[in-house]
Amino acid sequence: MPAPRRVLFHWSFLLVAALIPLIELLIPGEHHIGDLLRPIFIMAMLGLGLNILTGFTGILNLGVAAFMAVGAYSYAILTCDIYPFRLGFWSATLLTVLVGLTVGLLLGLPTIRLRGDYLAIVTLAFGEIVEDVLKNLDSITKGTEGINPLPSPSIFGYQFRLETYQPWYYLFLGFLAVLVLLNRNLHRSRVGRAWISIREDELASSCMGINPMKMKLLAFALGAAQCSLAGALWASYLGSSGEPGNYDFQVSIIALCMVIVGGMGNIGGVLLGALVITGFNSIVLETLTGFLKAHQLISSSNVFTAPGNWKYMLYGLALILMMRFRPEGLLPSRQVKAELHPQEPHAPPPS
Amino acid sequence: MNLLEISDLTVQFGGLTAVNAVSLDIPSGNIVSVIGPNGAGKTTLFNAVTGIHEPTAGTIRFDGHETRRSFRATTALALALVGLVAALSLVLAVSIEPLWDAVITANYSYQQAFPWTKALGAGAAYFTDEPGRRFLFPFLIGGIIGLGGAFAIWARTRYAPEVAARAGIARTFQNIRLFNQMSALDNVLLGMDSRLQTRFWHAALRLPLFWSERHEAERRATEILRFVRLDTEAHQLAENLSYGHQRRLEIARAIALQPRLLLLDEPAAGMNPAEAQELMKLIHEIRDRGITVLLIEHHMPVVMGISDRIAVLDHGEKIAEGIPTEVRSNPRVIEAYLGKDEG
Repeated sequence: MPAPRRVLFHWSFLLVAALIPLIELLIPGEHHIGDLLRPIFIMAMLGLGLNILTGFTGILNLGVAAFMAVGAYSYAILTCDIYPFRLGFWSATLLTVLVGLTVGLLLGLPTIRLRGDYLAIVTLAFGEIVEDVLKNLDSITKGTEGINPLPSPSIFGYQFRLETYQPWYYLFLGFLAVLVLLNRNLHRSRVGRAWISIREDELASSCMGINPMKMKLLAFALGAAQCSLAGALWASYLGSSGEPGNYDFQVSIIALCMVIVGGMGNIGGVLLGALVITGFNSIVLETLTGFLKAHQLISSSNVFTAPGNWKYMLYGLALILMMRFRPEGLLPSRQVKAELHPQEPHAPPPS
Repeated sequence: MNLLEISDLTVQFGGLTAVNAVSLDIPSGNIVSVIGPNGAGKTTLFNAVTGIHEPTAGTIRFDGHETRRSFRATTALALALVGLVAALSLVLAVSIEPLWDAVITANYSYQQAFPWTKALGAGAAYFTDEPGRRFLFPFLIGGIIGLGGAFAIWARTRYAPEVAARAGIARTFQNIRLFNQMSALDNVLLGMDSRLQTRFWHAALRLPLFWSERHEAERRATEILRFVRLDTEAHQLAENLSYGHQRRLEIARAIALQPRLLLLDEPAAGMNPAEAQELMKLIHEIRDRGITVLLIEHHMPVVMGISDRIAVLDHGEKIAEGIPTEVRSNPRVIEAYLGKDEG
């Protein structure tokens, strides 16, 4: 009996997202829902990169923000006119992805043989080191100022402008769609199968001819490349590399939350996680704060009354509730769900 | 013609000798059983053959070759590359900021054309100013760390399960080790994966080879599932299968590797007589596919019924070897199993 066909959330997500700016055009008045969705796409890319490591291969990575920082700073150095490179959007993005890939390999090569928790600590330390290096390498990274201004990208002769958000929106959505397609293709191939088998049982996997070190290193390089792509796009959108503090431990943890809340090992789940976590932060809380302020229900002098300042408490609460009632995430992969909700134990051998 | 030749194999863990100077030849096309009391070193022997444990002494030759990574030209190249990358990384790490200042900051004025040749010359001059401290020393240290580390890792992983598996040795485990959250079909496909031609790019971009090979692999995996009579369970998660089915799925996964030697670690454990009969039939059929079978088993009717030869281990040493009737009447074997006659 074939497995029931699952609703493909990731394609529906991308389709609906593609329609939102068009719908906004039809409704008169000022809107900026599409504008607010852009950070969600970036965070979703970061989540997809982390999902390869943590969701598929089972490597806990607590430092993905570092890969994002590497991406943002590489892109900034390659495009900003205070440096001699001044590359265009495509070549800078491509080089940034290659830099991310290399950094992933360089971090992975000496550490990939560590197991579980130890590797997680290495990635945590890597995140801190990258942040500190960026802060202190003044002449290259401009310290805590960040590198700016970056030129807005010009793609196929079209010059992006900050005032019109739609081109950015479709640019990011396009990149996200490509990453979703790439990850899905890999997931449903011998590469994804090997990653999942390593997560399930590394010894059995290697006894079947899979080289776990090679596959883990591949996961590391690919995850890092995707995270640095997210960083490059983020920098192009901000027009700045951002300051090193923008890529601190909190960003890594939020990325991890997205993967866990959405559903580990499931591409659609990661997209939903990004929508819920980032959307909650940048849409729900912002709108609520604006509404309350407009109706003078809160005073701006008292920071405790602004809902935006409660976000980490709300994240924490949401995580506790998730872990209690739905540990497999909102949109789990079939495999992880089975793991957390075991069915009847095996019947004893029939006689 | 011996497919597997184990000579004087010793495996020690710290002070404990699990397998002591065991020699065993497995003729091609035979079914050979290894028996012995608990703790006799049978599973350790299997683990050594499949590359999980490195032999302390002795050799294991499979089809005339040792089952370990050989040192090839590509190995040397990879080691050299890692060493070079480490060396250059350390050179950069030591002097990235002054180097950047000398090459970029000193030569670039805002929005002016960048004199690349001059800048690269300045970079070279930076290193030649003080070649010892700025280049040679960090380069050597980095190179030694990189090359040494890479070589140490290579040397410590010469015996690895994937090397034995790719050479053509497949196995099952005493405690079933399936990929529980993968379907039965995916488990079998995973066993087949190391024989596929598709590489990363074929999978990522779905090139034609990916489609044709996936189709072919699924057809063969279904055929293997039919062979172990599990084709109706193809889409069940492995962990939802019954115990007997899980045992058979593990065998199917091992066959999918297209091995020439199959190691079965207590395949009949926990089976009732009817299931054990069926298993014996299956093992015969596997042998008829041209796969040599080496098995550990406690279930004496199975062992005596199917083995061409039997080896007996006790306390890590081989105490007897021969055809089943010889082994059954060997006094040392009876002693190992039943204890010495004190009377």
